[in-house]
Amino acid sequence: MKKKKNLWSFAVLPLYLFTLVFVVGPLVYMAAISFATNKEGYGVLWRFTTENYRKILDPVYLETFQQSLKLAFSSTLSIMLLGYPFGYFMAKLSDRRKKRMMLLLVIPFWVNSLIRLYGWIIILQTKGALNGFLLKLGLIEKPLKMLYSYPAVLLGMIYTLLPFMILSVYSSAEKMDWSLVEAAMDLGATPAQAFFSVTLKMTLPGLLSGMILTFIPSMGLFFIADILGGNKIVLVGSLIQDQMSRGSNWPFAAALAVILTFLTTLIIYLYRKITHVSELEGLY
Amino acid sequence: MKGKKRIGMLLLAGLVSAGLLSGCGGQTDSGKSESGGSSGELVLYTWEGMFPQEVLDGFEEETGIELIYSNFDTDETMLEKLAQAEGKDYDLVIADDYIIESVVEEGLAQKLDKSKIENFDNINPLYQGQFYDEEDAYTVPYGAGIPLIVYDPEAVDFEIKGYKDLWDESLKDSIALTANYRVINGITLLSMEKSMNEEDVAVIEEAGEKLKALAPNVRMIQDDNTQNALLNGEASVAFLYTSQVTQVLSENPDLKIVYPEEGLGFGIMAGFIPSQAPNSDAAHEFLDYILQPETGAKCFDFTGYYSTNQAADELLENPDLAVPESVTEGEIIQNVSVEADAAYNKNWTEFKAACD
Repeated sequence: MKKKKNLWSFAVLPLYLFTLVFVVGPLVYMAAISFATNKEGYGVLWRFTTENYRKILDPVYLETFQQSLKLAFSSTLSIMLLGYPFGYFMAKLSDRRKKRMMLLLVIPFWVNSLIRLYGWIIILQTKGALNGFLLKLGLIEKPLKMLYSYPAVLLGMIYTLLPFMILSVYSSAEKMDWSLVEAAMDLGATPAQAFFSVTLKMTLPGLLSGMILTFIPSMGLFFIADILGGNKIVLVGSLIQDQMSRGSNWPFAAALAVILTFLTTLIIYLYRKITHVSELEGLY
Repeated sequence: MKGKKRIGMLLLAGLVSAGLLSGCGGQTDSGKSESGGSSGELVLYTWEGMFPQEVLDGFEEETGIELIYSNFDTDETMLEKLAQAEGKDYDLVIADDYIIESVVEEGLAQKLDKSKIENFDNINPLYQGQFYDEEDAYTVPYGAGIPLIVYDPEAVDFEIKGYKDLWDESLKDSIALTANYRVINGITLLSMEKSMNEEDVAVIEEAGEKLKALAPNVRMIQDDNTQNALLNGEASVAFLYTSQVTQVLSENPDLKIVYPEEGLGFGIMAGFIPSQAPNSDAAHEFLDYILQPETGAKCFDFTGYYSTNQAADELLENPDLAVPESVTEGEIIQNVSVEADAAYNKNWTEFKAACD
């Protein structure tokens, strides 16, 4: 018995090693650097300090966390409102249509997301396609300044992350046993009651994993704020990048990353606590 | 990315053919090189694509010296390799100002023998006596990068003369900025008649307040392709890097360049000879060669950096690469203390957040 177990652990050893070297290792290194001192010019001085964490309490830097959370929540909420009905109705399509829809959803992923975002610049810019269209229709007299604004960033977030929500809600709804809804209605439930007491509960794992799949990246997708927001909305992600490259203050960047990781973990924990879902569609 | 690769291939092809050519030259010109004094190899260490092939070939033909072009990606790599080689292996290095300061400090560079560089006086004094080589004992500048203001005179009601004009109320939501925190802090300090390398945290904080007042005028902040904002009508004023200035003017010559009256901030690239260079004679010859007016002009037209060679200015195909004579002052951004740097960083984050 014992021997068998050893053999098994031997088989998964590469995986453990991989996780140890490429996930745990960097995390420990990051945590270690976050307590080191920044060296003048370039590099890290291995002298213990908590200064990096104290610095985060500065209102300027706290505000970036607030800004990031605000953007992450508003994009997750919008994505949920758009993506849930989409995934739900997609699961009700005929098999052929489902396949087609899936293909249409996946095709954009064949193109790098950066390039797709540059596409949005062409649409949104002052002399761009959308302004041209609106001017032609006579709806506006002067081109609107749409690019480099908060709504533009939000749009970019929704656009980039929406498929993740649709696909996880879809896979949850597709597995659902629709006869349960029928049974609920037979027992006298209104369609709304049936939806909230049966459908929503059954698709909750999908919805939740969709929320996590959109929330976590939206905390870190700083390049959308850079490209569509013209760098004017400072998110934790862009602050970390700034500190890593130009500002060359690695300890501070590491401290920010540690807090960000902690924050995201906490939020996921809360999500699960509140919704009582122990299983996440496709994630767990 | 693809373009870069192609340039790399071209360069490689160029190197191979240059090698072949010089191989032939070496055989037939052996007599000539004896009379010429120096010969052999010259190992040049710099970034990729810093010289037109024509100039490299010309040097080999003229001197019979075989040129080996070795390149690095970043200044830091160069310093590391040079330190490992203890100043040997390379005959001539061209790199950025701030790293040369470290090279000289660590004793990895040797003093130039100016008697071997006849064209030394061609250097524009604007770029001499800088912090990394105050006595001009070690270096020959090879091109400068100068961030400048460019604007569309049709969209701006007044003449922009300096940094302080960027704060003008009529420019609301119309300025595109590059994203280097020290440079943007620096021009704010220049507009307050302070140094770009201010160390006094109180003054830096004052500059931070002033910078925040610029926020309403900022349309976007970006390092890559900032010039596009001017071309596609997103911005009417932009503060751009040299390569971006060159590019935007070639696409729209009606735009105006401003050499800010408060003074310029620039970066200089310069050549130095490592302390134990195997063939320092050849290195001196090469420095002299690129200081010739014709060669210099070809180089600056090729790289698109500002000419640091006064004698070459008139010969440039792109006259915008010569700084007007009215410009006599410039400052280079240097490393500052950790405290000052933290204050600059904070200003920058506060500024960006205020732009929203």
